[in-house]
Amino acid sequence: MSQPVTTAMDSLTAALKSNIIPNQEYLLQGSVLDSAVEVLLHRLRGLCDNVDSGPETFHDHEMCFSIRGTNLQPLLLRVRRALDYQDMPWQLRYIGQPEIGDKNRPTIVRSSIDIGTSSTVVEFLTELGCRMDFEYIVRGYMFRKGRMKITVSKIFKVGQVAQGKPAESMEPMSQSYLVELSVLAPSGQDAIAEDMRSFAEQLRPLVQLEKVDYKRLQHMP
Amino acid sequence: MSNLLNMAYSVNISVEAPIENQIQEITYDGQEIYQTPLSMSESLAKLAQKIDFSKASTEEIVKEGADQQDKNDEDSATKESATFQSSLWPWDSVRNKLRNALTEVCVLADVLAIAKEKRYIVLDHVPQDALETKPMVQVYARKKALAGAASVLLAGAERLRASQNELARNRTTPDFHIELLRLRQNWRLKKVSNSIIGDLSYRTAGSKYAQTGMFEVTKAEEEPQATGSPPPSPGAGAAAGPPKSSSALRVTVPSELQGVAYIEVLCQKDQEDLCSATINLLGSGPASTNPDVHWQQKLEAAQNVLFCKELFNQLAKEAVQLQAPIPHMVVGNQIMATVLPGIQLIIGLYHSTGNDKKPNPTPPQKSEHDHVLEHSLHQLLREVHHKNTHHPFPHPSSGPVGPSKKRCLAGPMAADRYELLEMTKSQTLLEQIIQQAQHFFMRLRTEYVLDTIAKEVKDPLIVSHWNALNSPTQSCVKINIMTHGYDSVYRTSLVVHVGEKSLKCVCRDGRVMHMSYEPQELRDLIFCQIYQHQITAVQGLAKCMGWQFLANSTHLGLGAVEPLGNASSCILASPIGDRIIAVRCEPQTGVQVAIAQSPRKDFFPGQLVKERKWENLGGSFKEVRWDKMEGKNFLNKMELLMSSLTSSQ
Repeated sequence: MSQPVTTAMDSLTAALKSNIIPNQEYLLQGSVLDSAVEVLLHRLRGLCDNVDSGPETFHDHEMCFSIRGTNLQPLLLRVRRALDYQDMPWQLRYIGQPEIGDKNRPTIVRSSIDIGTSSTVVEFLTELGCRMDFEYIVRGYMFRKGRMKITVSKIFKVGQVAQGKPAESMEPMSQSYLVELSVLAPSGQDAIAEDMRSFAEQLRPLVQLEKVDYKRLQHMP
Repeated sequence: MSNLLNMAYSVNISVEAPIENQIQEITYDGQEIYQTPLSMSESLAKLAQKIDFSKASTEEIVKEGADQQDKNDEDSATKESATFQSSLWPWDSVRNKLRNALTEVCVLADVLAIAKEKRYIVLDHVPQDALETKPMVQVYARKKALAGAASVLLAGAERLRASQNELARNRTTPDFHIELLRLRQNWRLKKVSNSIIGDLSYRTAGSKYAQTGMFEVTKAEEEPQATGSPPPSPGAGAAAGPPKSSSALRVTVPSELQGVAYIEVLCQKDQEDLCSATINLLGSGPASTNPDVHWQQKLEAAQNVLFCKELFNQLAKEAVQLQAPIPHMVVGNQIMATVLPGIQLIIGLYHSTGNDKKPNPTPPQKSEHDHVLEHSLHQLLREVHHKNTHHPFPHPSSGPVGPSKKRCLAGPMAADRYELLEMTKSQTLLEQIIQQAQHFFMRLRTEYVLDTIAKEVKDPLIVSHWNALNSPTQSCVKINIMTHGYDSVYRTSLVVHVGEKSLKCVCRDGRVMHMSYEPQELRDLIFCQIYQHQITAVQGLAKCMGWQFLANSTHLGLGAVEPLGNASSCILASPIGDRIIAVRCEPQTGVQVAIAQSPRKDFFPGQLVKERKWENLGGSFKEVRWDKMEGKNFLNKMELLMSSLTSSQ
């Protein structure tokens, strides 16, 4: 009753100023063949937190939208939902370009803003004028070590049936698993990148996690 | 010295080789004829004779070069014995041999030149006959070789084993490394420069306590083994044996973690102990100060001390921070909290290091809920640890790790500020344990009330069934009120939910009543229910007996005001209608029954009321002396009354 009335805007600006909102993603990526994934999972299970509970599985569906404004570059937005947890909110995510920092940075650093939404976000984006570029289904395992999150996942093409049960007609994109090590942190916490690199060293002979140069990938035929 | 001599005397000295030539003959006149020394060519010839052309070719080449030069110079020489060919001069064999060699070399050079051209001659492998291999022979040969190697290795292994056994037999204490292996299987160790440091804290399990639990592992000094006690089996880890077992390694725990600690929870009612829960995780009394106690026991005791300290520290912090209606007190090693008015919860940390003689507190009485509250405390702290490590995973997987499901849904579901604040609130350990203690007392009181009533009231039987499954803060009891012998006629059921500070009673007819922690309220309620049961049971009985039910009232407004509850009554008529029974029940004064007869027995037509028919209006009610009535219980008495009043006509 005697507290000063604070508006939502005040709280929001205070939160932004105090730098607690995680808006940057530190990322390392690698891949393993199907034949080698069991060994990698075993190793991760031993290295990561909570050995007693088994690895957490996830089954997600991601759609990428783009909208072309007045700028030359289209704005890319990603919508992701969990197929195995239907009651969790959908996620709308913006991923920025990786920072063109010095080569000494151990990880990719890019801005990432994600928001929880309801399932009507697709309709909303379509109404705004976004168009879906592509979609895919991801299925795999998640591990956690401290603040770091490690995912080992396989990407599938979305099947023809779009009734909400596309599981039967999924076909994998490749014979390998994608391994990602990521941390979502507020900007300015570069020390975490060193921890990520040393953790990647521990996985070294099984999988090589490294920075991926996206620009080079784009120029490949 | 000789130089000086030379300068003094200056004598010329000449040096010449002695005559080595052999004397060939001495003539009669004393002249010596020396053998003429060999000339250059002759000595060369002599040397050439020594060459063995069948030996290494290097010598040949060297000599060949020299000989070829001299071959043209010499012309005469003495005759020497040749090899298999008699030759005139010693160089003949040499020359022949050289000529042959030259021929052969020329031929070879020509062949090589032609072969190099590959037009007329091609060099090719000579087909070799395949060596006839006899496999069995090979197998046998290999077997023998392997057997030889194996015997050598076995002999070596035997020798090592014998030496190891002897070492183990001579040494009664187990090997340091085996002990270290056992230690490492149970505790986390790491090597820091020269020493081995271990960690016995709960940090990896999620504890955020500041005190570190580091211990050091060292080799025990060699001590002469005390005879008498049987030597322990090597590598034994169990501490069930005699405490005198010495091991090869020694652990040093920090001084503040030595000894044994336990948390004691005591519930006091104003000064006397109601119940207490003494906990000692190790199961034995205060510490044995035996320095030879096995390292496993020592480490477990130290870990227990650390856990108790963390628990007490957390509780003390909360006790100071919480705002309770009656403030909690923290005095030394004890926390005092008020559970219910007049009942206090005392949580104490007792740490005996064994060095100083601490007077044992008065042995607490162990009631039947001995370990429950301490176990709850232990579990609560472990739950805090668990929450610190097990954060929920994000679904979808690209979200941040950390926010709970509620928090994730707060955005899309438009949670307001109040909901968000509620999400951040959580109960402290002290609040939780106080709630559990409160519930414990509520349950105790409810049990007591029900048992007392069941003992006092025999007429309708009070049967209570407690739920087997309950939570630390809520229990349920189902109460049935029925009369012995008439339980199929009518039964009153009610359910009482026992909370932390209140009771909730739900009756069969849908009434819900909330009561506070005073036991008297429950008692009053049960009594009211009993007497209402009687009236309703009578109605049920009347149906069985064929009597008609005329009227009833659960809250009667007639008669004196009842101190407790309201009186209830009912009126019954016999099958043919000639008798009427009226029953009135109340909790304080009990039961009153009166009967009336329909055609009046005492009707006399008078001046005002002339006709006979008015006798059917029924007489006045006469009270029955209920205590003199036959019957085991109220319903039985009612049944007998009804049967006696029923007349078949």
